[in-house]
Amino acid sequence: MGIDVQAILDGFLTTIQPMNLFWIALGGFLGTVVGMLPGLGPATAIALLIPITFGMEPTSALILMAAIYYGAMYGGSRSSILLNTPGDGSAIAATFDGYPMAQKGQAGQALAISAIASLIGGLIAVVGFIVLAKPLASFALRFGPAEYFLLMVFTLSAIVALAKGQMVKGFISMCIGLMISTVGIDLQTGVYRFTMGNVHLSEGIDFLVVIIGIYAVGEVLYNFLSINKPVGEKKSVGKIWITKEQWKRSKWPIIRNGPIGFLIGVLPGAGGAIASMLSYSLEKQVSKHPEEFGEGAIEGLAAPESSNNAAAVGAFIPMLAMGIPGSGTTAVILGAIVMLGLKPGPLLFENNPDMVWTFINSMFIGNLFLVILNIALVGILVKILDTPPRVLYPVIMMLAFIGTYTLGYSTVDFLILIIFGFVGLFMKMLNFPVAPLILAVIVGSDMEQNFRMSLISYPNAIGILTASPITIALVIMTIVSLGLPFLSSWLKKRKAQKNNSEAM
Amino acid sequence: MVRYITPILATVVGIIMLISAINLPKSNLGNPNGPMYFPLLIASILIISGIVYFYQEFKARGNDFADFRALRIGKSPLYLLVSLILMLIYTVLFERIGFLYSTILFLAGLLFLLNGRKKWMSNIIIAVVFSFVTWYAFGTLLQVSLP
Repeated sequence: MGIDVQAILDGFLTTIQPMNLFWIALGGFLGTVVGMLPGLGPATAIALLIPITFGMEPTSALILMAAIYYGAMYGGSRSSILLNTPGDGSAIAATFDGYPMAQKGQAGQALAISAIASLIGGLIAVVGFIVLAKPLASFALRFGPAEYFLLMVFTLSAIVALAKGQMVKGFISMCIGLMISTVGIDLQTGVYRFTMGNVHLSEGIDFLVVIIGIYAVGEVLYNFLSINKPVGEKKSVGKIWITKEQWKRSKWPIIRNGPIGFLIGVLPGAGGAIASMLSYSLEKQVSKHPEEFGEGAIEGLAAPESSNNAAAVGAFIPMLAMGIPGSGTTAVILGAIVMLGLKPGPLLFENNPDMVWTFINSMFIGNLFLVILNIALVGILVKILDTPPRVLYPVIMMLAFIGTYTLGYSTVDFLILIIFGFVGLFMKMLNFPVAPLILAVIVGSDMEQNFRMSLISYPNAIGILTASPITIALVIMTIVSLGLPFLSSWLKKRKAQKNNSEAM
Repeated sequence: MVRYITPILATVVGIIMLISAINLPKSNLGNPNGPMYFPLLIASILIISGIVYFYQEFKARGNDFADFRALRIGKSPLYLLVSLILMLIYTVLFERIGFLYSTILFLAGLLFLLNGRKKWMSNIIIAVVFSFVTWYAFGTLLQVSLP
């Protein structure tokens, strides 16, 4: 299968239409602003800004949302580097060496290398996307209901297994999400389920309200708990450029970690957080000066920044080609795309190739734009960072309510929003992973339909599991992903015991 | 004791779901039990997870349980409680007195809560300006009909 050059070119031409360029710029800017707020990350940015995309043409809406996503990732590294407060998991690794760099008076260089690394990582991943997306989509055409059901089981189990040491909490989080997805009229039989006699609930609970509740209201409420804590001291930014020496040190880490981040992003369940952590520890291991890591080593910032942006692009592949989001953030985007009437999956590449390729090209342009924005406008962006969160959080709260209202024009949704805001708050306080819930809410309904369709085709559970080589592979992958955390903790225990006995 | 609240809650929710799934009306189309299977599956996983979670907390009973401590420190309980009340008032007023006035009240309330009474001037200006901008942006530019 070749790469369709004509389609790519057409997509490029659509992308550079003034209107689409405007959406890239707007999304990139708004995303950067929300992403810069301490404690808020890309998922919040997208959840909040979804209402803007209503009434937009699907392609432009997708471009806007992707731009918000990248913008929030860039913004997240801003607050990681300058204030030591990462917005979400994928920005954590940027604080390890980014904040020390800023403390040493190298804030400008840190911001510059993070923008450059993100750009290169993103571009490497876009190339990967072009190569990998279409073959994966054609492969997914062979998936029947049983395969899809098990793919969703695998994705959910992978994301549950990644809740470090808290698989049980991950499972509970997943179950809540799946439960929400079953509320309302059953699509196959018309039976009312769990509506408690409420007319509004018979249409089901809108997953976007759940998402806005947890990611916007819940996150803001959670930040109320620490609103009076002083944030890290901010040093002056200085010149936004890097020296030749610094470029020499970070060049290879950036190039190495782009593909790594991309591949991790493609995997379901993994994502920016894991990609950037892995890249950081990898770079520390291969470095000639591992002792500088954590003290402001530039490659310790460059590597995870390249990697997490590449992962962000990679995560779009399973989402667009198979309709399976790999992370909380892509799940939010998937939810928004479904709202727009598009059906992501293998057929998207057949039916809407123009849209897919326009989207891919917008990633190129969007990444370029964000680097320009981040380097040219750093003064303004840093000023925004000075705006006290206690002023911005109320505004975000209000936007969450307005966004919810535009989804269903009903204040019953406000109550659902408030409930899930507090659910989100308590989940964060109790260290429950949120991603399994979000993912489950979004794939839940499809998952059930596929499950029941496969029950019709195969007489029993064993039949579903062994329906084809693909299902068998998926079952094995599910078992491995759930078993892996146990295996690794067992190995660690054994190693510790060994060390103990040696010490004695 | 606090540490057992969530595990027990999870298990109880699972049991309620199990019972209500079994009592779901039978379908006249296709498999009469069709609507029941998936909820039963979820309920079972939830109950098992709840029990395992309870056991984990039981094993860790000697350790300090600090997850809810933030709820008692400083102004946090005040912030959360007043925010909840403001959100509920907003819900009630939104369609009654219209988007603009209710939003100004909501924003001003939150700002007075978080930003303090001393900055009353900037609180009011921010509340009014942001409400107007949002009202204009959604009502006119995005053509969303707001009450």
